Amino acid sequence: MSHPLKPHFKKSLVIFGTLTFITVVISLSLGSVSIPSKTILDILFSRVPVIGGLFPSHPGPESTIILKIRLPRILLGLIAGVSLSVSGSSMQGVFKNPMASPFILGVSAGGAFGAAVGIFFDIPWYLLPLIAFIFGMGTMLTVFFLGRVRGRTHVSTLLLAGLAMNFLMTALTSLILFYSDPAERMSIVAWTWGSLSGTVWNDIWISLPVMVIGTGAVYAYARDLNVIQTGETSAKQLGIEVEKTKMIQLITSSLLAAVVISFTGVIGFVGLIIPHASRLLVGPDHKKLIPISALLGGSFLVMCDAVSRVSGNIWVGVITGLFGAPFFIYLLIRNRGDTGW
Amino acid sequence: MVMLDIKNVTTGYTEKNPVLKNLNVSMDEGDFIGIVGPNGSGKSTLINCITGILEPWKGSVKIKNETLTDLSRKEIARNVAVVPQDTYINFPYSVKEIILMGRSPYLGRLENYDKKDHEIAEREMKTTETYRFRKRGINELSGGEIQRVIVARALTQDPELLLLDEATSHLDIGHKKEVMDTIKKKNEKEGLSVISVHHNLSLAARYCEKILLLDEGKEHAFGTPEEVLTNSHLRAVYGIEAEVHEHPKDGSLYVSPVDEQVSSKSKEKTVHVICGGGSTNTLLKDLIEKGYEVTAGVLNVMDSDLEKADFLDIKTITEAPFSSITEESYEKNLELIQDADILIMTDFPVGEGNKKNIEVLEECVRDYSKEVILIDPENIADRDYTYDDMASKVYYEISEKKNVRGVDSTKKVFSVLQN
Repeated sequence: MSHPLKPHFKKSLVIFGTLTFITVVISLSLGSVSIPSKTILDILFSRVPVIGGLFPSHPGPESTIILKIRLPRILLGLIAGVSLSVSGSSMQGVFKNPMASPFILGVSAGGAFGAAVGIFFDIPWYLLPLIAFIFGMGTMLTVFFLGRVRGRTHVSTLLLAGLAMNFLMTALTSLILFYSDPAERMSIVAWTWGSLSGTVWNDIWISLPVMVIGTGAVYAYARDLNVIQTGETSAKQLGIEVEKTKMIQLITSSLLAAVVISFTGVIGFVGLIIPHASRLLVGPDHKKLIPISALLGGSFLVMCDAVSRVSGNIWVGVITGLFGAPFFIYLLIRNRGDTGW
Repeated sequence: MVMLDIKNVTTGYTEKNPVLKNLNVSMDEGDFIGIVGPNGSGKSTLINCITGILEPWKGSVKIKNETLTDLSRKEIARNVAVVPQDTYINFPYSVKEIILMGRSPYLGRLENYDKKDHEIAEREMKTTETYRFRKRGINELSGGEIQRVIVARALTQDPELLLLDEATSHLDIGHKKEVMDTIKKKNEKEGLSVISVHHNLSLAARYCEKILLLDEGKEHAFGTPEEVLTNSHLRAVYGIEAEVHEHPKDGSLYVSPVDEQVSSKSKEKTVHVICGGGSTNTLLKDLIEKGYEVTAGVLNVMDSDLEKADFLDIKTITEAPFSSITEESYEKNLELIQDADILIMTDFPVGEGNKKNIEVLEECVRDYSKEVILIDPENIADRDYTYDDMASKVYYEISEKKNVRGVDSTKKVFSVLQN
């Protein structure tokens, strides 16, 4: 099995950047009212400062549909895809384990349980993200606390603690499901499978800065993460502050996932498979892996959400699972016996 | 100039359990020092101490006159590089990517490798002959090749002091020499200071100008290989008799252990061991090494204790695989027991098939005043699978006899034998 030894990083960056943009535009054109791509580009570019005047602004229902309904939803999809993929790449690096993902620390299961609690006790809908975030981070911090032995993070203990907390949170969510009435059940299921419908611009104003700062922080420690892959003691001997790097990476990646999940619910598989696919494209160097993961993850989730929208708003986590799992199995078979996994 | 100065260092991993005790080491720039000693003598701990991974509880470690605890990780890494015993890398980084990591201590957070970094990496790839596979994935390489890549990375760190922590112990003889020769050349031509931890005494003697022999965290001897690798030092630290020879070709020393049997005193006594199922642990070997004449029986063919006995050339009474002990074997076994001075019963499980090995005990104790040692007699009931609890009954009956003694484990046998 050969590896991308000359990782075509710059080429990939251009290709996936373009792909992301095209995906967003096509996705904007899909829906019950069909709007041509030309009109969409006009509407988008007319809102850009300085050059905005050069494009017709198409005032009317088309503008409203694009800017008020479709764009926030698609942008949240993009942000969620980027955040989850960057989070996954970071965690796989910290754990030196290609099976790690944002879910491993219990962020998702905790968030879903929080939302279920909120729905069951009829708290106002706009507080749901807050309670989901609190539960997600709470679960993650518990796992974190359990995984720390004498001031050091033990990977295997951490993974096992994550597994246990995941089971506990999922069981508690199911318990609430059992005692819920049918309407509540649908809302809770939507949380456990993720949904982007009903996104408003305010969601973007919170998740976008977190995505930008979080991705920046993960990227800033990318080279340290590379050195850690060759062993933590060796990394220390190469001048890396191993414990600090691990802490920053873990807290940032948990935050990235928790914030997204608090708006969208649990969207599975993205944080696991996108880092894998990216590694096959540009190799394991985190300096390349993180930007490519971000672009690939963003466009993947926008595509999955487009499928969800045209098929009557099936929960987007179902779509990512349906596409993601077979692809993952394909990668698994293709790479069987290869130590790269 | 003094490269490394370790003064009165006491340290370890758990409180009140120091691994290094009041250790002093000093080396000048350009020295090539070997550290040897048995497992647990503190060799690797010393390496961790010099790289600042482990802080001294008492005393101080200085690199070029600067106290280690005052330096940042990066500052230490610019002076000291380490080649560990082995390196596992999960993801398929290319060889060049790994080697370039050696420049980490010189880069700021957002800085990238510049031309100079690439040049240094390339230079070291050439010295270690890793240049030709620089583009391959690390996971495609053999153990020897990976180790050369790690050496290249350590050299790319441009250190003043290189630490080898049993760096060649997993390599075959050819690769051992290759790696050590490369480093020796760096030491001779560029004045790189080297500290090399070795398991292999001959290898240490061949490459190191001075050797530090550690014993339980303390310096036992320090000096040239000729001064340190002597019979008396090796006996005191390793507990073995060794011969130190001079290599006929290059005059370097090499060490080979001598069979201890010759030096033993208790040669005359004969011990018969009744055992089975691997219950002897290292007892047979230990007895032979202490100079006893050893016999064993009755053992089924394919029993792991029989394999050990065969390997040690011990006379045994055998039975076909998985079958019960016959009257004939029983008699032969009894004969061997009569010839022996001491009878040892290991803690083997007793069933219908081998119950004759217990019956024979009854006979011995009754008819002969022979020294009998039972291993773990208290728990006989747990390993007694006979229908009538026969083994337990026999053990109970004989436990009162004057010539019968019990010990907890095979290890404890010798504490009884010596008196």
